Amino acid sequence: MKIVRAITSVAVTIVIAAFVVAGARPAAAADSIDPDADFKAFRDYFTKRFPNVPLNDFVNGPYSMDAELRKQWEAIDDFPPYDFAIDRGKQMFATPFKNGKSYGDCFADKGIGIRQNYPYFDLQSGEVITLELVLNRCRETNGEEPYSYVKDEMASLTAYMAFTSRGKPFDIKIPNDPRALKAYQKGEEYFYTRRGQLNFSCASCHVQNPGNHIRTEVLAPALGIVAAMPIYRSEWNGMGTMSRRLVTCNSQVRGVPLKPQDELYRDVEYYLSYMSNGLPVSGPGARP
Amino acid sequence: MRGGAARGTALFVAAVLAVVLLAGAPASAQALPGQALAFDRSKGNCLTCHDIKGGDAPGNVGPALADMKTRFPDRKELTAIVFDETKRNPRTVMPPFGRNLILTDGEIEAIVDFLYTR
Amino acid sequence: MRTYLFAAVMCLLTGAAQAASTEADFKTALAAAVAAEQEAGALKNQWIPTEQALAAAKKAAAAGDFNAAVAQAKEAEALAKASIAQAKEQQTSWKAGVIR
Repeated sequence: MKIVRAITSVAVTIVIAAFVVAGARPAAAADSIDPDADFKAFRDYFTKRFPNVPLNDFVNGPYSMDAELRKQWEAIDDFPPYDFAIDRGKQMFATPFKNGKSYGDCFADKGIGIRQNYPYFDLQSGEVITLELVLNRCRETNGEEPYSYVKDEMASLTAYMAFTSRGKPFDIKIPNDPRALKAYQKGEEYFYTRRGQLNFSCASCHVQNPGNHIRTEVLAPALGIVAAMPIYRSEWNGMGTMSRRLVTCNSQVRGVPLKPQDELYRDVEYYLSYMSNGLPVSGPGARP
Repeated sequence: MRGGAARGTALFVAAVLAVVLLAGAPASAQALPGQALAFDRSKGNCLTCHDIKGGDAPGNVGPALADMKTRFPDRKELTAIVFDETKRNPRTVMPPFGRNLILTDGEIEAIVDFLYTR
Repeated sequence: MRTYLFAAVMCLLTGAAQAASTEADFKTALAAAVAAEQEAGALKNQWIPTEQALAAAKKAAAAGDFNAAVAQAKEAEALAKASIAQAKEQQTSWKAGVIR
């Protein structure tokens, strides 16, 4: 009896260890959520459709799609329009809160060179945590007013943090937890669901029509689309955070936007970031 | 009825009918001509995706709209596409201008009239 | 005969327009529109034109133009219902577009 129990407990330990070590999710049955299969299919779709675009170049959005546009972009690269945001963000990041704590206290590695890990799924609270969310929660925990998710202060902070991670490959994790898989799937659903009076899904433009023009604007591919955030957008004459981009995409299709950092927005950011795994952080970016 | 009164009444009825017909019971009679509707960003906004003669800086998400009489001999088919192209092609990115109440029936008619001149 | 013809023509003239809408009509129409828009909100799929029509309806009512107010409220209800139909249809059909 003792031997059987010992062997069983050893076997169980080995199995658990295998899972822990591999960080793997069990092989997916049909109809269940399989982010790894989705990831491969997503990547193959874009690399097959654009065989002449180097994989890492997808993070440059419309510039990876259109040679003419790329020339214009390269021309301004000597004086990137987001430089002021990086400088301001660096200064803000280094300035302590009234209570003496600072942003670095809310992150691993004091918040330097960690942007590629966001968003992540928090197993304790059961929700997707984005970079913008942590920054505001950090402020509120330390007695400061939160910033608007769509305005310049948040853009400056995230511009600086992205800059400290430039070139690092996205490393988004989906833990083997049904809540995390559900959040991932809700993000995927949001991305492919038609919405607004104009009946577009995110995929309508960024999966079905990358490289095509709407009027004179070149549509970016969904692969790597979050890698350059936050962006300086010439059309906006200023910086745009991830939140701002999602809100404006909704209103452009005549859909009433959700509140910035709504659960669904965080889920879709989670999904798109996971699809960008391995691609380099390129933020902050510039766009037309 | 005596002759004079009959003529007077007939004239009156004709005048009333003329007023009613000219006023145009459906609102579409007051809509902009089709080209203006097609090119208006808040209406058809067709140039966003389609190259149409007479328009500038078109997009290329959809096919160029030319030879329309040859390509769509059945007006009902073209009207249906503008009304709701998802019925014909579930994967289309063309907005369902009729189903989603983006354009009125009259506006769609006017745009279809215009497209047949391209 | 002449009298009947004259009466018919007068009915045509005055009856061409509908009976004027009242404030009560507006309140009924607005309640229906708001309820539909709330349902669209629960589905996280409200449309901007719906909100615009609701605002226009309230504005017209405040100015005492209940014909316009009712028309706008009915438009808002139609838009809200279309947005609900879109959300419900998409709940099952979104998967068709996923890259596999």
